[in-house]
Amino acid sequence: MLQTVAFVIVAGIAFGYSGFRFAKLFQLLKSMKGRTPKFGRVAERIVTATVDILGQRAVLRDPWIGVAHTMIFWGFLIITLGTLEQFAMTLNEGWTFEFIGQTAYSALIWSQDFFTAFVLYGILYAAYRRLVKRPKNLGQSQDANNILMFTGSLMVSIFLMNSFHVLGSDPWFKDSYFISKHLASVFGGLGFSTETNHGLYIFFKWLHMSLVLGFAMYIPGSKHLHILAAGPNTALKHLDVAKGMRTLNFADETLTQYGAAKITDLSWKDALDLYSCTECGRCEALCPAWNTEKPLSPKSIIIDMKKNLYANKDLILAGKADEVTSLIDARVTDDVIWACTSCRACEVACPVFIEHTDKIFDARRNLVMMESRFPVEVQPVFKNMETNGTPWAFSASERANWAEGLGIPTMAENPTIEVLLWVGCAGSYDERNKNVLKSFVNVLKRAEVKFAILGTEEQCTGDAARRIGNEYLFQSLAQTNVETLNRYAVKDIVTACPHCFNTLKNEYKDFGGTYNVMHHSEFMAKLVATGKLKPTQEVAKKITFHDSCYLGRWNNVYEEPRSVISAIPNVELVEMKQNRKDGMCCGAGGGRMWMEETIGRRVNVVRTEQALETGAPVIASSCPFCMTMLSDGVKTKDKVDSVRVLDIAELMDASTS
Amino acid sequence: MNLYVCIKRVPDTEMKVKLKADNSGVDLAGVKTILSPYDEFAVEEALRVKEKNAGSTVTAITAGPAEAIEVLRTALAMGCDNAIHIELADGSDSNMAAKAIAECLKKEAPADLIYFGKEAIDDGAAMVPQMVAARMGIPSVTIVTGIEYSGATIKCKREIEGGSSETVEVTLPTVIAASKGLNEPRYATLPNIMKAKKKEVKAIKASDLGVAASDQKVKLSNFQMPPPKAAGKKIEGDAAAQAKALVQLLHTEAKVV
Ligand code: SF4
Ligand code: SF4
Repeated sequence: MLQTVAFVIVAGIAFGYSGFRFAKLFQLLKSMKGRTPKFGRVAERIVTATVDILGQRAVLRDPWIGVAHTMIFWGFLIITLGTLEQFAMTLNEGWTFEFIGQTAYSALIWSQDFFTAFVLYGILYAAYRRLVKRPKNLGQSQDANNILMFTGSLMVSIFLMNSFHVLGSDPWFKDSYFISKHLASVFGGLGFSTETNHGLYIFFKWLHMSLVLGFAMYIPGSKHLHILAAGPNTALKHLDVAKGMRTLNFADETLTQYGAAKITDLSWKDALDLYSCTECGRCEALCPAWNTEKPLSPKSIIIDMKKNLYANKDLILAGKADEVTSLIDARVTDDVIWACTSCRACEVACPVFIEHTDKIFDARRNLVMMESRFPVEVQPVFKNMETNGTPWAFSASERANWAEGLGIPTMAENPTIEVLLWVGCAGSYDERNKNVLKSFVNVLKRAEVKFAILGTEEQCTGDAARRIGNEYLFQSLAQTNVETLNRYAVKDIVTACPHCFNTLKNEYKDFGGTYNVMHHSEFMAKLVATGKLKPTQEVAKKITFHDSCYLGRWNNVYEEPRSVISAIPNVELVEMKQNRKDGMCCGAGGGRMWMEETIGRRVNVVRTEQALETGAPVIASSCPFCMTMLSDGVKTKDKVDSVRVLDIAELMDASTS
Repeated sequence: MNLYVCIKRVPDTEMKVKLKADNSGVDLAGVKTILSPYDEFAVEEALRVKEKNAGSTVTAITAGPAEAIEVLRTALAMGCDNAIHIELADGSDSNMAAKAIAECLKKEAPADLIYFGKEAIDDGAAMVPQMVAARMGIPSVTIVTGIEYSGATIKCKREIEGGSSETVEVTLPTVIAASKGLNEPRYATLPNIMKAKKKEVKAIKASDLGVAASDQKVKLSNFQMPPPKAAGKKIEGDAAAQAKALVQLLHTEAKVV
């Protein structure tokens, strides 16, 4: 009776307190004003969430800690059953789970011992990793140490409780305590009386229950919040790898804030992202900005935005939206926001599917469109896009000059075509990339593909404008391009630029442009597979391939460019240490191509060093911006004489000529 | 303070120049147009002064054909309060533009500062600012790269020959012709772009300001493209032979030595 009363009071306080804090967190979530994408495809969500949560798929991508986490996760699920029984029986002695039958109950008891040991192993490895191995991107965290202490003590208290239960009460199922009973025989050696042992059982039971309740109070303010948030966040994740940016509706007159000036301008899904972060540092480990000493770390930006949200919580909950402080603060600075190359290495690595770039893009949109605050060198880029439909300072009337004398029809000449060649600004204006386009044209002609270009009717897709945050400019370019493409009823498009590819394929849909868009790697891979292209010439003994972020992580195209290279006779494709989804960005994405890089080492040079490490005399690229960045890198490393950067189209051109 | 900015719509800097069939001028069909870059410095300067002096207004003025209104929208989007479009036919000369602007300004609230770009990048005449100042009987400072404001007198740094500069002190009201270096023009924010679309632009006919055909002092005719650049010549041989060949060529072909 005394125990029941005590438990009701203690548990009431503990659950009351943590319930109150969870309710606040939930209200905060609901106060977020930014628009949230629609979450359809329920069946698919249930399946992937099951695999990712119960199967721990994403967590297991890092095998060692993944296994440890899986042990802890599964252990806790099972042990919670025992804890529930313990709570029930403390309320009313008769509420044991024995009603499930003797065999099942014995199994439950057995499982408690088994999973306690299981979890303990997991925790020991985690503690070893955190305190001894100390991987760089994990950092030091009191919160994490507290959690390890809490969970470790919970497990130890279970063993002690079970052992003294065996000694003090001699339950009928004592043999199912297949670990605790051995501990019991050790403690038996202390020679305590049965009453004392029973007393110790009660003591450790209370110790365990207190730890559980204490932990319940601790969780809402800790990174351990992920045990509640990460599940829903996983179920609500962006289901496809490929994604476009959120489209703003400028026709909506109620919309007066573009992008996020304050934390509350983000969406509730963004807040759920913040709640879900486990501070594991996987994102940071792969971030090209962080790895070249920029102030941006994707892990920190999530933690810092969470701090901003918490610091403003009273104002937000009191409805004082006006007084909420700015999203850009002492931690999340302008430099942090502009350092991102939007490579999505962070998002792809994150075990709980946090989408960092959404928040960075929203912050940029506010800076650019509401405050006109961005690196000065970007202004002429915007102006060029506005007046000439290209980020470079060239006239729109010169856009098709590269194709003079090549005999490529324009759509205006009304040819019958299989596919439209989308040239892009780099292919049209940049000297190095014009040659790439010429090579690709040779390849297309050799494979007898009927194609045409838009000529001077083509305009910049607006990719860079959008990534930098100038959604308004992006949309005006997108609308003109969609109009042009739809006027010619274009269905199939091929392009050598992953940025154009991503924009045309994933983003023009929102403006009424739905096309079958192929990157030239996919297109050439198909031509080779169907025998229309026969690479016969040797090009180089060794080639290494650099993954473009907008082809790989944004669109999941990793193998096609590799198959194009492998189709060349007698070539060895050597991979860099970081490749495919772990590949390092060249530094040009997210509009960084158009910004100065003044902090830290240069991303392109670091990536070039990784490429040079392979010893391959050819670095293959599949993106005009990667081409520029890597070529500059090779120049910086003074390797122009021994190493060439070539586009896969140039390789295919050389091999089929 | 009453601040005015006089601006001009010009072809984009990247345009490929083509002449009209009769050589009477540059063919502007299909050419993108912009706010003349030096005028951007003028607009920016006026806006900064306004931001430092509460209660000021900035009025943008342009004189030109119907399409010229585009640059007024650009100026409004940057933050100007009002806009006046003086309807003046294409092909009018600097004198007509200056007369139109000066007469217009005389009718508006008395100006404290009138900003211009140092020249429009199409004809590069660099005459209107001074002509307006003369007609209004106020000083003008041209090619200004820096201004120190202090009440009724201002100090203007202006570029002079040989890459050096001088500082001129001048009493308001005055005309300022802005040059590169004066400031970094802003990029319009989206709310301002949206607002600019809806703002009213006051239209005045040049003829109502007394501008007549007889005011035209200059008529341009017979435009010609510059001769295409001849290909360069590479001089071969050892240093002595090269030097000899070079002197020879400078003497016989370039006729400079
Ligand atoms: S997108 Fe790339 S650069 Fe940006 S935060 Fe993520 S990893 Fe870093
Ligand atoms: S954002 Fe994701 S990957 Fe980065 S620390 Fe948080 S949970 Fe880990």
